[in-house]
Amino acid sequence: MGFFDTLARWLGMKKKEVNVICVGLDNSGKTTIINQLKPQNAQQSDIVPTIGFTVEKFASASLSFTVFDMSGQGRYRNLWEHYYKDAQAIIFVIDSSDKLRMVVAKDELEQLLNNQDILSKRIPILFYANKMDMKESLSAVKVSQMMGLETIKDKPWHICASNAITGEGLPEGVEWVTDQIRSMKK
Amino acid sequence: MDLFDEDVGNISQPSPIALVEAKRERRQPRNQSKPASHEGNAKWLHAHYDPYSTLYTFSSCIALADLHGDGDNKLIIANLGTGKYDMKLKVYKGTTLMTENTIIDLPTAVCTFFMDTHDPRTPAVAVASGPYIYVYKNLRPYFKFTLPPLDVNPVEQDLWNQAKEDKIDVQVLKEMLESLRADGSEGTLTVRSLRFLMLDPEDMPTFANLHKHSPLKRQTVITCMTTLKKSHSEEDAISCLVIGTESKDIYILDPEAFTVLTKMVLPSVPVFLDVTGLYDVEFRIVVSCRNGNIYSLKKGSKAPKYSIELSSQPVGLQRMGKNVVVGCMDQTLQCYTTKGKRLWVLTLPANVMTMELMDYKSRGFKAIMVALDNCEVHVYNEKYLVNTIKTEDIVTGMKFGRFGREDGALVMTTKGGGLIVKILKRNSVFEEKDSRPGPPAAQNQKLNIPKKTKLFVDQTMRERENAVTMHRMFQRDLYRLRLDAARSYVKALETSMTPMSADPLEPLKLSATVNGIGPSFKLTVNLQNTSSATPSINLLITFQYDEKLYQLQRSSIKVPLLVPGLNYAFQTLVECISDKAIADTIKVFVLRKGKSMPIITGNINMPVSEAQVVV
Repeated sequence: MGFFDTLARWLGMKKKEVNVICVGLDNSGKTTIINQLKPQNAQQSDIVPTIGFTVEKFASASLSFTVFDMSGQGRYRNLWEHYYKDAQAIIFVIDSSDKLRMVVAKDELEQLLNNQDILSKRIPILFYANKMDMKESLSAVKVSQMMGLETIKDKPWHICASNAITGEGLPEGVEWVTDQIRSMKK
Repeated sequence: MDLFDEDVGNISQPSPIALVEAKRERRQPRNQSKPASHEGNAKWLHAHYDPYSTLYTFSSCIALADLHGDGDNKLIIANLGTGKYDMKLKVYKGTTLMTENTIIDLPTAVCTFFMDTHDPRTPAVAVASGPYIYVYKNLRPYFKFTLPPLDVNPVEQDLWNQAKEDKIDVQVLKEMLESLRADGSEGTLTVRSLRFLMLDPEDMPTFANLHKHSPLKRQTVITCMTTLKKSHSEEDAISCLVIGTESKDIYILDPEAFTVLTKMVLPSVPVFLDVTGLYDVEFRIVVSCRNGNIYSLKKGSKAPKYSIELSSQPVGLQRMGKNVVVGCMDQTLQCYTTKGKRLWVLTLPANVMTMELMDYKSRGFKAIMVALDNCEVHVYNEKYLVNTIKTEDIVTGMKFGRFGREDGALVMTTKGGGLIVKILKRNSVFEEKDSRPGPPAAQNQKLNIPKKTKLFVDQTMRERENAVTMHRMFQRDLYRLRLDAARSYVKALETSMTPMSADPLEPLKLSATVNGIGPSFKLTVNLQNTSSATPSINLLITFQYDEKLYQLQRSSIKVPLLVPGLNYAFQTLVECISDKAIADTIKVFVLRKGKSMPIITGNINMPVSEAQVVV
C-alpha cells in the first residue's frame, strides 16, 4: 500500500473498499435493496429476477462497497458458496411476508453458517427483514425468532426491518455494517 | 381456542402463524417424547402445521395453481365441511386463507385449467359437485355446467304423471315405486323417487304434492374429474375437462364452449381417473372403477379394451411413465403396465389412505407417495421405498407441486382437520434403492432362463395328451411300491430284523454305535428293557460279520439281568484286517438261550477303515 493511498484515505479523499455478498431466497428483494442503495443516477427503474449474479458498487460515509448480488432461485443457490471466501460481510435478505418459506431461508442460512469459509471467520451478517410494508409481514423480532438467529454466537449479526421500495430501514443496516468492518480493522 | 388467546395476547402481531407457533410450543412436551415427529427426516423441511385448520377434504379436492399469474402458486381446497354445512372453496396464499367461496353441494373434485388464451395467463378453477361443474375465474363464479340429463324410466314417468293427475294416491305411488326399486332398477330411478321412498309415511303426501307438478328429470352425479390438454402440451395450454359419472360414463368437455366432445361408456362406476396425451392427437384414460377393475380407454374407443382385475378395491391410482401404480385395500401397492401385465406387488405395513405422484421436475425425479393410516407417508421410486415422512396425524389428502414460490412443496390435510406443508430441501437426494431392510437386491434380479426347447414342448404335449394313462401308470406303480414296502416290513417283523422287539414278551430296544477311525473300532451295543416291570434274563448278544474283513474281540456277550428302563452298554473291539478300503455291515443279534430265532437284530454300517499307521 503506497504512501499516497494512506494519505488519501487519511484525508478522506479515497475510501476503503469492501466486498459484500448479498444472499437470500428468490423474490426476497435483494436486487431492489442493492438498487436502492446505489446513487440516485445509477438506479434502475424496473427490477427483473437476477440470473446467476450481478456485481454492483455503492458507497457509505467511509467505505466503498462492492456487492455480489446473488440470484436467489433454487437452481442458482449453489453458486453462493463460491463467493463466501472473499466476502467481508454478508447481507441476508428475508421476505418477512413469506411465512411458508421462512423455514427454507433458515435452512439456507444454516448451510451458509456451516460452510468452511464462513465457519472460521468472524464475519458480520446483516439481516434485512424486507417487505415490512406488506400487511401479512412479520416483525423483525418474530423473523429473528423463526430464523433462529439467537443461536448465532460467534459472529456479529444485526436484523433490521426494511422496505426496499421506499428505502426505509436500509441506511440503518448499512451503517451497522460500516461500523462492524471499521471496528474489525482496528 | 380461548385457552390459546390468553397466551398470544401479548404478541404484537397476532397473525395466524403466531397462533400456530403458540400452539406448537404448547405441543412441545409431546413432541419431545417422540423425537421422530418431524426432525427425523433430513429431506423435508417442516414449513407449516396447523392442527386446527378445520379442513375435511381428500386428494381429489386439493389443487395448486398460480391463480393470479404472479408466480405465486395458491393452494385451492374444496372443503367438504360436515357434509351439510361449511362446504367451501378455500384459497390459501402461503399459509393464510385468502378467499372463501361457499359451495352449494358436496364437492367431489377440484381442477385448475386454462380455458382460453387470454393474457395474463390465469387458470380457471373447476369444482365438481353433484351433477354440476362450477367454474370460477379470478375466484369469482363464472359458469355452471350441467351434465346432460338421462332418460327417465317410462314406468316411473307414467306413475308420476298419474300422480299429477290424481289418478293414483300416494300409497299406490309408493308401492309401485317400491316394486320398481325391488326389481333391480334402483340405479335408474330419479333422485325424486328415491328421496320419496326414503321419507316417513306421514311426510310422503306433502312431498308428492310439492314436487309432482315439476317435470321429472333424471340426473347423474360426477364421481371424479381431471384435465386433458387439448392440442398443445405446454404447461399453460388449453385443457379439456374429463369427468366420470355415477351413470358409468366418461365425458370429455370442450373448455371454451362447454359442450360434450366425447362420451365413453364403462362397465362400472369410475372412481379414479388418470389421463395422458393430447385430446387432438392421442390420449389414454386409465380408470379404476368401483367393481375393483381398472380399464384403459384410448382416443376413438367407445368402450374399454383392456381391463385389470385387482385383488382388492383400489384406494388410489397414479401413473408412472407407462405403468399404473394402484394402492389397494388389502394393504398392497401394485404396478401394472397399461396393457394389464402385473409388474410387481408390495405389501405395505398399514392401510393406504391416499396416493399422490411426486413429480419433481427440476431434478427429473418421479416417485409415488402413499399415505398410510399409521401416520406415515412413504415415497416409492419404482418399487423401492426411498423415504418415509412421519406426520402428526393420519393424512387423508395430499398434493405435491409448486406452492408459493417453492417447487417441491407437499401439502397434506389430516384426518383431524389439520394442514401440513413440507418443503423438499434443495440438496436432498433420493437414493435409487431401497432404504428398507430386506432381501438383497440380487434376489430380485431376473434369472436368464433359456427358451423352452423342442424336447420340453414335445414332452409337455405328450403329458397333456396322455394325462389319464400316465396317472393310471403312476397309481399302479405306487400301489406296487406300497405292497413291496408292506411285504418287506412283514418279513422284517417275522425274522425280528428290527432293532425294536415286536414280541410283547421280550420288550427290548437295541442301538449300536461305532467309535474310532480304524483299523481298530470300538463297537458299543446299548440294550434297554422297555417293559414296565418284567426283567429280562438269559439273553445273549452275538454278531454276524465277514471274517475276511473283521475280527471281533468278543463274538458273543452274555447279557446279565436287564432291569426295566435302564440302559446297558456292551462293548467289544473290532479289528479291520483287510487293507483294502472297503467296509461291510455287522449284524448284531440278541438271542435267548436255547432259541435259534433272534429277538432283535441290528445292522451296523461300519465306516471305511483308515490304513494302519506303522510307527
